[in-house]
Amino acid sequence: MNNDYLDPINSIHVPELADTTFAMDLLLRAKEGVRNVAVALTESASPDVRALLRDQLMQGIAMHQEITDLMINKKWFHPYELSEQYKLDQLSANNTVMIGKMNLFPVETNRKGLFAQTPDEHSDKQ
Amino acid sequence: MDNQKLAAHESLDLHEVINFKTLCVGKSKLMQGLVFDDDLRNLMKKDVEQSIQALGQLQEVYKRAPFEAPVPENRPTPTVNLKGVHMH
Repeated sequence: MNNDYLDPINSIHVPELADTTFAMDLLLRAKEGVRNVAVALTESASPDVRALLRDQLMQGIAMHQEITDLMINKKWFHPYELSEQYKLDQLSANNTVMIGKMNLFPVETNRKGLFAQTPDEHSDKQ
Repeated sequence: MDNQKLAAHESLDLHEVINFKTLCVGKSKLMQGLVFDDDLRNLMKKDVEQSIQALGQLQEVYKRAPFEAPVPENRPTPTVNLKGVHMH
């Protein structure tokens, strides 16, 4: 993939690049979620709050497991063969930086005027 | 025990967990429409459903926070300032 995002030759592998990125985002949020809930649990005193957080912690761990398994099966995550993981890390960094440098939003994107606005008291002073 | 006001620290940590879970619901829902892979989409769908349920439970408990207040229909102060509208 290179800068010319209009040339079809450069759109090969893009679906998988997108999916690996979305999966990684889901994985990182799952990890973050488990950690956040664990921290909250250890600051909670009320029994029912602790019970709720404990349940959600277990659920969060299970979801993290599912995401990890899916990514391993799809070869999007290599916890054992770290040189494979190294390649993926560098590759997605390069591709994502390339996207980051693209001029994808050349037109003014301020769309505020397109949404309904409640006519409030200072609207007549415009 | 269930109607007693929550302690300070746990209430603030609930604030953190709730905001995080809210963002997770929104983001997973958004990405569900973007992913190509069916298995990944199904897992995101499951994540959304679980997170919505979890968020509901957290919101329920959060009502017992000492700083609880009535929730308005919309955001109290409109975020869209009409000055942002360019009249050409």
